[in-house]
Amino acid sequence: MVATLAFFLAVYLYPLTRLVAWSFFSPGFTLQHYAKLFGEPAYFRAFRNTAEISVGVTLVSLVLGYPLAYLMTAVSPRVRALLVVLVLVPFWTSVLVRTFAWMIILGRRGLINQVLTHWGLIDRPLALIYNMLGVQIGMVHVLLPFMVFPLLSVMTRIDATLVAAARSLGASPRQAFLRVFLPLSLPGVSAGCVLVFLLAVGFYITPALLGGEGQVTFTTLIELVVRDLLDWSFGASLSVFLLTVVGTLFVLFSTLLGLDRLTGQGRA
Amino acid sequence: MSPRRTPLGRRLLWATSIATLVFLCAPIVIVVVVSFNASEFIQFPPQGWSLRWYRNYFGARQWLEPTLLSLRVALVTMVLASALGTAAAIGLTRGRFRGRRALELFFVSPMIVPTIVLAIGLYLLFARFRLVGQPVVLYLAHTVVAAPLVIVIVSAALRTTDSAIELAARSLGAGYFRTLWHVTLPAIRPAVISGAAFAFLVSFDEVVLAIFLGGPATTTLPKRMWESVRYEIDPTLTAISTLLVLIPIIALAGVEAVRRAGRGVAT
Repeated sequence: MVATLAFFLAVYLYPLTRLVAWSFFSPGFTLQHYAKLFGEPAYFRAFRNTAEISVGVTLVSLVLGYPLAYLMTAVSPRVRALLVVLVLVPFWTSVLVRTFAWMIILGRRGLINQVLTHWGLIDRPLALIYNMLGVQIGMVHVLLPFMVFPLLSVMTRIDATLVAAARSLGASPRQAFLRVFLPLSLPGVSAGCVLVFLLAVGFYITPALLGGEGQVTFTTLIELVVRDLLDWSFGASLSVFLLTVVGTLFVLFSTLLGLDRLTGQGRA
Repeated sequence: MSPRRTPLGRRLLWATSIATLVFLCAPIVIVVVVSFNASEFIQFPPQGWSLRWYRNYFGARQWLEPTLLSLRVALVTMVLASALGTAAAIGLTRGRFRGRRALELFFVSPMIVPTIVLAIGLYLLFARFRLVGQPVVLYLAHTVVAAPLVIVIVSAALRTTDSAIELAARSLGAGYFRTLWHVTLPAIRPAVISGAAFAFLVSFDEVVLAIFLGGPATTTLPKRMWESVRYEIDPTLTAISTLLVLIPIIALAGVEAVRRAGRGVAT
């Protein structure tokens, strides 16, 4: 374990602290990068885009993921195993492959536009990617399993006899669900939402490929600043800012909700 | 309480769930189908069938060399991440010391830290040693993002195995390392193997670190694909994607087989 710790300190913590150092120097000590970050409206727009995308993706994932996880707990173990595999295979498929698949489906000459034009439903191709819609579709696809698995792990631990007891005491199925099952599943809801939200905030591949010029997010802004403007100090301060936001939320929620729920069932 | 309510709710539940599963799986099915397309443009459904994009992939050095590099990086990452991750998991679950919880949090935090932030930090670090563009950079960087997964999986297994058998071995005169090798590790072997498999997958699919830390000589397959997706959509990508879809399916089947075999031994 000491070896692992040494490795993590050298290749993980050290570079992150270097990043903090870079963000304050240019070459002397300065706060100019942070002033720029909070001063320019263009950078504020990236911040707003990121927030909008992340909140949207989290809510859609919850709306799609909750019924699916609920169904998984209500079927026989055999059927459940099949449903889990149908979530696991896309989950473990390369994010790049999946994003590329969405480009084929949603593109100007993509599948949906081809089909709709063929049927004569539209004259001109619909704009489905390089906009907010495309980014959100692609990101929900990647992040949805991160909602389903925490939900599933909490729901399978809910004692089914409690719901049965509520029913035998005269509760309708709807009442039994709303008053007994739903409240008991809330830890899974919060864990899933936090996980999806945090991953969405730091997500780079899908916004970079499916977003247009109007959808610059925090991560694509970092790339732009570093690769095109070659402004490493400013890129470092953007990174430190992003890291601070994600880190604060992570520590806050993992102490509030319990670490194992956030990470323990995140992937495996 | 009308008798029809439950079936209706049930049917709605099935309908929405199936729609969600179709949403999750359809893109993958579509890529696979399109990869057998004969035409120059990506079409669905394909007008004619051929294997030309597969021939394109297997016949081109520009695709095969990145594939070999990706395999090499993923293998090294798998070994490093499993060794470091298993060691950390044993220390975290069996050790009794102050700050254990904080250390656990620290070890799994790379799963949450945005990869692009880590990539920028590592770039600044490795640039100082003039290492950017060397394979070793990718070995180290990928190990940082893959090891937490091993830690999580192996820790979960360690928590469910009885540490009393380790104490029994120790009390019967086995040393620390002998106990580790003959008692602890065999008990968690399935978890270590699945952790290793997932570490391999994480490295093999990793894009962000590869594009920021890789030079012309260290173009992994995802980095090469990224360049292709971003600047010109080459239908060869559909063939590569199809081959990449097979990898998690094989890995998941393998992990399941190991888990079953492990259970068979235990009972």
